[in-house]
Amino acid sequence: MKKNTLIKQIIFYVAIVSIWQIVSMTNIWPNNLFPSPYDVAEDLVYTASDGTLFFGIGTSLLRLIIGLSIAISAGMLLGIFMARIETVNQTIGSLVLGLQSIPSVAWVPLAILWFGLTDGGIIFVTAIGSMFAVTIATYTGVKNINPHYIEAARNMGAKGSQLAIFVLIPAAFPYLISGFKQGWAFAWRGVIGAELLFSFLGLGFLLNVGRQLNDISQVFAIMLVIMIIGIAIDGIIFKKIENKVMARWGLR
Amino acid sequence: MTKLEAKNIVKYFNHDSHRLKALDDVNLKIEDGEFICLVGPSGCGKSTFLRIIAGLETPDEGEILFDGKPVTSTGPERILVFQEGALFPWLKVQDNVEFGLKMAGVSKVKRAEISKRYLDMMQLTKFADSYTYQLSTGMKQRVAIARALVMDPDVLLMDEPFAALDPQTRDLLLVEMQLIWKKTKKTIIFVTHNVTEATVLGTKVAIFSNRPSTIKKIVDIDYKRPRLVEDQDLFPIQQEILSQLRPEVKKS
Repeated sequence: MKKNTLIKQIIFYVAIVSIWQIVSMTNIWPNNLFPSPYDVAEDLVYTASDGTLFFGIGTSLLRLIIGLSIAISAGMLLGIFMARIETVNQTIGSLVLGLQSIPSVAWVPLAILWFGLTDGGIIFVTAIGSMFAVTIATYTGVKNINPHYIEAARNMGAKGSQLAIFVLIPAAFPYLISGFKQGWAFAWRGVIGAELLFSFLGLGFLLNVGRQLNDISQVFAIMLVIMIIGIAIDGIIFKKIENKVMARWGLR
Repeated sequence: MTKLEAKNIVKYFNHDSHRLKALDDVNLKIEDGEFICLVGPSGCGKSTFLRIIAGLETPDEGEILFDGKPVTSTGPERILVFQEGALFPWLKVQDNVEFGLKMAGVSKVKRAEISKRYLDMMQLTKFADSYTYQLSTGMKQRVAIARALVMDPDVLLMDEPFAALDPQTRDLLLVEMQLIWKKTKKTIIFVTHNVTEATVLGTKVAIFSNRPSTIKKIVDIDYKRPRLVEDQDLFPIQQEILSQLRPEVKKS
């Protein structure tokens, strides 16, 4: 079954690249607007060989990790307070729903004014664009905890931060995981979007350089890299955590 | 010596628009080391009464005195065992059992030492590293009892802990429960709707009336231990309790 899926996927991607190659060879569109897979691969090798690519990936990932860490910690904290204190939910909770509807890039002007053209600004955009997804997932998760878990824990002396760390967070984890996944997806979009608009480093910046130089191969190549990193983080890191949690809870 | 005293306990349930009187002037004195079973028609509020003793709910009128002092919140001297155990699925059996000790700041070494004793007592040693979903319902209840005993409470509160068990497992645990009571000399308050269970376990059986409930009668059971479900000598007492209970069940 699993092997079968893999074979199908290999055939699919080989077919796509072949069609892409054929279309580019027909010259329906000029080569400076529609590069061939070979051009893109060549560009990837070139940017990789002088280290630009890896430096770009590293910079973007570092910003992502810092921004997402802030988003997850702050998001969870706010979510727990919203779930446990009704007044917080009624007041800040309504604001969170509004803030969640603001796309990451819409924070960019504010970030530039507050932080200037710095890493801090990019991290701000990344964090704020993803934290509310984590908050909402945490809120839902904590609200859905079997109340007997909380009562039993309180009965055994857990309170305050102990209750949060040892009961609320682990009990809400199946929900939190989906919040983290969503948060990461928003954060990745946020990093690239912000870098595109005001950075001198990172994948978003390389994408912008490609545009400025009219280097369509580079634009294609960097987009491909952004996508592959996305698939890798989703499919490797989050899948692993998810499987582990599900197995431990006996949900699989 | 009186361990626990309920004085004029009144409790209302809020059902959407109207208030329902669940407990009406419940008075009960429980001596140190007593094993008292509470029976009554379903929905009569006996579990609510237990939760009030645990400090998980507050009475609308009246008070619970523990060693002469009013109960205002949950406390490690009164530990509740829930009907479905309320074990933490994210923790292994041993970590579940040690939870209360961890909250109290007991060192890891000391925790392992204490939990080992109770895991042995409940015949769970083999399952120390299992997760709860890997256990049968009977095993889960054993873990729940061990988790409560580890806290070394003065009073063990049990809310229909054997209701979901198959008859064979239940009969086994009924015998073990008597041994545990003898060995640990705990005061036990045990809620059940099963009269046989109550007569096998209890030194006393308190019969609750239909809603609004109060204690209709208290029956003393002075009979050798360990008692078995099939003990013929218990039949007359069971008949007496049932004759008190039947009209209440009909009213409900």
